[in-house]
Amino acid sequence: MTAAAARRRPHGRVRWWTYLLLSGAAAACLFPLYWMFVVATTDTATATRMPPAVVPGDNFFHLLGLVLDTVPFVQSLLNSLFVATAIGAGQAVLCALAGFAFAKLSFPGRNTLFLVVVLTMTVPTQLSVIPQYMIMSSLGWVDTLQALVVPGLASAFGIFWMRQHITATIDDELVQAATIDGANSWQVFWRIAFPIVRPAAFVLGLFGFVTAWNDFLWPFIVLKTPERYTAQIAIKALQNSYDVDLGLAMSGSFLATAPLVVLFVLVGRRMVAGVLEGAFKG
Amino acid sequence: MTLRLPTLLAAAALVLTTACTPGTGGGGGGDGTSFEFWSFAAINQKLSVDAYREKHPDVEVKLTEVGTSTETAQALTTALAGGKVPDLVLIQGDNLPKFVQQPQNFVDLRTLGADDITDDYLDWVMKQSVAKDGEVLGIPTDVGGMAIAYRTDLFAAAQLPTDPAAVSALWPSWEAFIETGKRYKQATGKAFIDNAATSVFYQAVNQVSEKYYSEGRDLVYDRNPQVRAAFDLGVAAATAGITAGQTSFESAWSAGLAQGQYAAVAAPSWMLNTIRSTAPDTAGKWAIAKIPGGAGNWGGSYLAIPKRAKNPQAAWNYIKEMQSPQGQLDHFVRVGALPSTPSVYQDEKLTSRQDPFFSDARIGRVYTDSLLGLKPFYIGPDSATIGQEFLNSITNVEQSGGNPATAWDDAVRNIKTAIGG
Amino acid sequence: MAITLVPAPRVAPPPLAPRTARGLGERLAPYAYIAPFFVLFAVFGLFPFAFTFYVALFDWNPIGDQVFIGVDNFTRMASDPRFWNAARNTVSIWFLSTVPQLLIALLLAHVLNHARLRFALFFRMSVLVPYVTSVAATAIVFAQLFDRDYGLLNWLLGLVGVAPVDFVQSTWGSHVLIATMVTWRWFGYTTLLYLASLQAVPRAVYEAAAIDGAGPWQRFRHITIPSLRPVIIFTVVTSTIGGLQIFTEPLLIAAGAPLTCGAVRQCQTLTLFLYEQGFGEFEFGYGSAVGVALFVVVVVIAAVNYLLSARIRADR
Repeated sequence: MTAAAARRRPHGRVRWWTYLLLSGAAAACLFPLYWMFVVATTDTATATRMPPAVVPGDNFFHLLGLVLDTVPFVQSLLNSLFVATAIGAGQAVLCALAGFAFAKLSFPGRNTLFLVVVLTMTVPTQLSVIPQYMIMSSLGWVDTLQALVVPGLASAFGIFWMRQHITATIDDELVQAATIDGANSWQVFWRIAFPIVRPAAFVLGLFGFVTAWNDFLWPFIVLKTPERYTAQIAIKALQNSYDVDLGLAMSGSFLATAPLVVLFVLVGRRMVAGVLEGAFKG
Repeated sequence: MTLRLPTLLAAAALVLTTACTPGTGGGGGGDGTSFEFWSFAAINQKLSVDAYREKHPDVEVKLTEVGTSTETAQALTTALAGGKVPDLVLIQGDNLPKFVQQPQNFVDLRTLGADDITDDYLDWVMKQSVAKDGEVLGIPTDVGGMAIAYRTDLFAAAQLPTDPAAVSALWPSWEAFIETGKRYKQATGKAFIDNAATSVFYQAVNQVSEKYYSEGRDLVYDRNPQVRAAFDLGVAAATAGITAGQTSFESAWSAGLAQGQYAAVAAPSWMLNTIRSTAPDTAGKWAIAKIPGGAGNWGGSYLAIPKRAKNPQAAWNYIKEMQSPQGQLDHFVRVGALPSTPSVYQDEKLTSRQDPFFSDARIGRVYTDSLLGLKPFYIGPDSATIGQEFLNSITNVEQSGGNPATAWDDAVRNIKTAIGG
Repeated sequence: MAITLVPAPRVAPPPLAPRTARGLGERLAPYAYIAPFFVLFAVFGLFPFAFTFYVALFDWNPIGDQVFIGVDNFTRMASDPRFWNAARNTVSIWFLSTVPQLLIALLLAHVLNHARLRFALFFRMSVLVPYVTSVAATAIVFAQLFDRDYGLLNWLLGLVGVAPVDFVQSTWGSHVLIATMVTWRWFGYTTLLYLASLQAVPRAVYEAAAIDGAGPWQRFRHITIPSLRPVIIFTVVTSTIGGLQIFTEPLLIAAGAPLTCGAVRQCQTLTLFLYEQGFGEFEFGYGSAVGVALFVVVVVIAAVNYLLSARIRADR
């Protein structure tokens, strides 16, 4: 093997079976979406014909009309957009702020409190949905979007991640210099630290957005009227009629997935990079 | 960050332009002329609401029609437990008993004038929505009746008769029905009915004179020979290999309906609409025959007003008008739902009604006849749970390789676990 | 880089009182920054969690009465075959959806970690696509692809002479279906996590090992895996916690009997059982007891997995 410059990854020719394996993985990932599109553009009869159809049809707009008749689907997409954006943006700022505090400020109890934050990640929250619902009803928040947003703003993992990132990218000297020049901690955060870690906060916000968009159990419990449904619940509502139309359910599924896929095509590279830069260096 | 701003702007623009969502009619301002109404899918209350609004254009109705009847009942319960309640809610008969047990959650309709109209309805239907101390909690909408819908073309291919009278004569009893199924299977190699649990057991068990509770409200499901007989029929159908193993209302069941995977299906009056919308290409190839066994009923719903409703009077006005005998008759003409008001059963509009989708069957007559001589049984709070466990047990035999010999004991054991003794 | 700072407030030394006041604000500021998390978690995370234990001691009908019954819910649960069935299903589904996923991710990360790989970005983005796909949509699509009578997969199996498999009504079939969906969703994300750590391993280490005579498998076992140790531990623990709480997929694949996931509860997980009892049967107390049991299961299995994966030999 030739001694190249200090490269980190294995060299040599890439075997053909490597590409085969990776192509297989990519195909497995993309085929279900393609097939969803196929059924969304045909109808139940075609979709259940054997051999199954694998070519898109022309029924899309008719099915789109049916979807909109059954549930206020556009409204549900907007609801999802609102909730996911609020949670993504909220997490980005709040976790950056808390991460900054844990990373660069010294205060009594800092390490203990951070340990508590980490420990909270072990509490499985899905099992407390019953009392969570009871709290929402006493707050009068049942069937509202804030019942989805407010609890979603607390992300222990986000704080952990931002703290890692801030520790790795911001020097103590920088903070000290600013403090000596008279800046208070908020100004140091907002004008110095946050601009530096904004890309990482953005990625965190993206992941928060995706997670919130795909959340199912809690919206399923707390949302009651179709005008408040998020996209996920709207899809489930399409599945439940006494005259199940497969094309209808797939149409709705496709419509709820497409925005995220489009978003992913636009910013997916950042998400991939975000994971790769990760918080797990050794 | 920069990408989100354009997105937000686009979203704001969309919000402004999508002001008209179907069904958002304001509703619920406490002013008494609008109300919020929770119904469930495929029951066609929308047409009823539209007809009401034509006569009362100043009334706004916010109608929600998503989910199954069970999900609407669940949503109602969580709403009653501490959320916003609708002014009017449609509750399916199977879900009603649990609510009747807690009458404090609903308006006693006698305070709004129910005593004037309760005599209009079939007494065994009306009884179900009356609570322990006589509170009237719901007004009935439709009833289902019972029949078998079958494909004339598939029957012909199996050398079976196709005329409804002749087909009805094939199966005076459920045993004969299963025999016919075997004949069909032998002639064509295909499935005769969709499943054993719903289309055989569930129909048969709703024809009994005493079901899971005695008249004295004791649990008798495990000792009642009529229930046992119905269960055994279900198991027999499952083991005879005459079913397609399609659980009712799943997407594969719908697909099978459209593709003629099975030739017959248990069809109360509301099922006809399901067949129509699920299998539109099969128009004219169906007919309706009598159900084996005796008189029976599958389905039926009630309209109720939750206690904390803001517009109870507006909701009651709707009930009084649309569920009056004339109102229910008009609804029958619109969607074919069988009224629960016997005074209209001899009305010409009902008796003469023929449906070309089902080979011009006289759907009014077929279903009112199926109710003749019905001996009502008491439905208790756990009836739905008990029935579901029996259904599960038969489905297990039919689709998951369960042991038919132990099916009854398994079901009883599961019921005891589910209802706590 | 240009930094704009707030200009120094005073030239002369400040009076004592204002400085102390500003100092107090500064001292409290960090607590203010971390407070939102703690407040939100206390109200919406910790309190409901603790309250679950309380409600579990009652027969709690949300539209009826609430009666204190002590540990009766737990004794009933211990002898309830549906509970044990759900517990078995949960562990089985978790195992089937975690182990293959992590192994596939390891393999793919190893393969993706190649300097000369072409279309690397395309492959990396493709494997992350399932992660952003709607959960409900995934369940509906896969349930249809795996359908017994009209599904693509059974049609393909039929081409090679295999009888149709019922992926919903059979126990192991439904577990495979759910595991497939969960694996499909997460393996890309896990792959990228592993890839991130792999990229931190200097090539020199691999070269030295190759010179010393280590073959590909030995290099994998003694270099790749130990350097992935922290992230493997992390993924094992997080996928345990997540995998034991699977709810959406079982709910959506058996549309005819959604809350029980099939006629014999063949794919009902503990979270679904919790939902069925709580919001289906309206036994809030019993549902909360199931929640407590689920918590214990998660803690125990996560702890076991942590200990097992921590036994990977650390970097030498």
